[in-house]
Order: sequence, then C-alpha cells, then structure tokens
Amino acid sequence: MTVNGVARWTCRTHVDAVAKGGALEVAPLGHLPVIRDLVTDMAPFFDKWARARGQFQGARSRHDDFARIAPDDPQRRQVDAGIECIGCGVCYASCDLVSWNPAYLGPAALNRAWTLACDARDVATRERLRAVGGDAGCHACHTQMGCTERCPKKLSPTAGIAGLKRALARAALKGTL
Amino acid sequence: MNARGEALLWLTQRMSAAVLAFCVLVHLVTVIVAVQGGLSAAEILGRTRGNVAGLVFYTTFVMAAAVHAPIGLRATLGEWLGWRGASRDIALVLFAVLLAGLGLRAVAGVFGGAA
Repeated sequence: MTVNGVARWTCRTHVDAVAKGGALEVAPLGHLPVIRDLVTDMAPFFDKWARARGQFQGARSRHDDFARIAPDDPQRRQVDAGIECIGCGVCYASCDLVSWNPAYLGPAALNRAWTLACDARDVATRERLRAVGGDAGCHACHTQMGCTERCPKKLSPTAGIAGLKRALARAALKGTL
Repeated sequence: MNARGEALLWLTQRMSAAVLAFCVLVHLVTVIVAVQGGLSAAEILGRTRGNVAGLVFYTTFVMAAAVHAPIGLRATLGEWLGWRGASRDIALVLFAVLLAGLGLRAVAGVFGGAA
C-alpha cells in the first residue's frame, strides 16, 4: 500500500517509523488498477513477469543428476540478492517509468529475468533477452533507482537491469540475439 | 524496434557519451587556457584556420553529439509525448543529419581554409 505518499510493505512497517506529526494516510499501491478501497489488481504486474519470460525453463528431467552450482560460482553470486524478491510490487509502484510508459515491464519483472539469465540451468536465455530488450524493456530504465531505494528487502533491481543491458549488448555484438 | 536494435542503440549512446565526455573536457580546458591573455575573434581564427588536429578533433566532437543527442531525445519523445514507432525514428535520423550538418559547417568555418 501507499503510506503517507510512499509505497511500502505495509504489514512489516511500524507506524512510528512513518507517521508524520501523528498523521497517517493510507492509499492503494500506485500504478495498478484499484479494485476497491485499498485493494489493487496485481494481474498487470504479474502479467509483465510472464512477458519478461520469468518462467524457469530447464533442459533436465527427473532422471538426470542434479545440476551442480558451486556456492562461490560468480554467475550465481550475482543474483544472491535478486532471488529474494517477494513480489510485493513496491518497486513497481515507485518507478516513474511505469507511469511514463505503461508498457514498461518494471523493476520486479526485469529483476526476475536477470536472476534467470544468471541461472546456469536455464536454457531460454536468448528468448528472455529478446523479451526484455524492447522499447518497454530494460533499455527504458533511466537508473533513477526509485525501486532500489524503496525495496523493503533492500534488493537492487537497478543492478539487475544494468546486468541485462550488458548481457544484451554482448549478445547483440556477437549476433546471438 | 527489436531487442538487437535497442541494444545497439544503447551501446552507441554509451560509446558516444564517452567520446563526448573527453571532448567536452578538452574543449573547456583549451578555451579557458587560450583566453587567459584575452583574444579577439580574428586572433582565434588566425590560430584555428588550417589546423588539422583541431579539424579532426572538432569533427569527432560534432559527430559524437549528432549521434548521442537524437538517441536521448528518442526516449524523451516516447515518454513525454507518447511518440513512438517508425515516424519518430525517421524524424530523429533527420534531426541527426541536421545536427551533423550544422556542426560540420561550423567546424569548416573555424578550422577550414589556409592558416
């Protein structure tokens, strides 16, 4: 919800940390359709996760051995924080780009795409990079870092978006997009 | 525009930004140092005309600006005016040509001709 004009993870926010002069104004989460009172429809938010190809796509079956990813694997460590996203929508409501470009996928969907792009088991990287590289994808981000500032889990979707930009640039130069 | 095109535009803008950062720094330092003792327009032109290094440097500067500015403007037009699609890109290519034309004309005026 929005508390005193700022998107917050409301059930974990202490009133005395955000109340200004004893006043508290609560409103629905921004950038999402309001169903009623404080309830928003999260469907557009999660639809964008799907459009960013946020689904894991592996190539192994249950008959194969486990994929072995070392804890100190550099690629895996890049997303140590990003995989902790709880999908609360605070970053999405805090992003100005979403209001300027309603088709923009948003920080959470792009963070999800980044965690999968760094997943050695996933085999859909090419399709995912194509999905997040359009006019409404990672290149639309201005690095204003509203998402990173407001994330209640202290994650940095901005860093993930920057990672996607670099990955796309490399793929474009190699001609593998 | 497809993902590859967007990625290449992004890369081009970053590269042109790096060139511009260098050029702006050199330009400002040169201007500040050159005018220390006071210079007339005729004295400046006397030094610049026929200067090949200056011609190359400022041609690079102009071309970097002509590439960089329209890519940035592309995002601004999309977000502020909702102008997207091929018509925007065509208009911005024309804008880039205009910037390059005006800039190169100025470079030719300052650095062209005999010393």
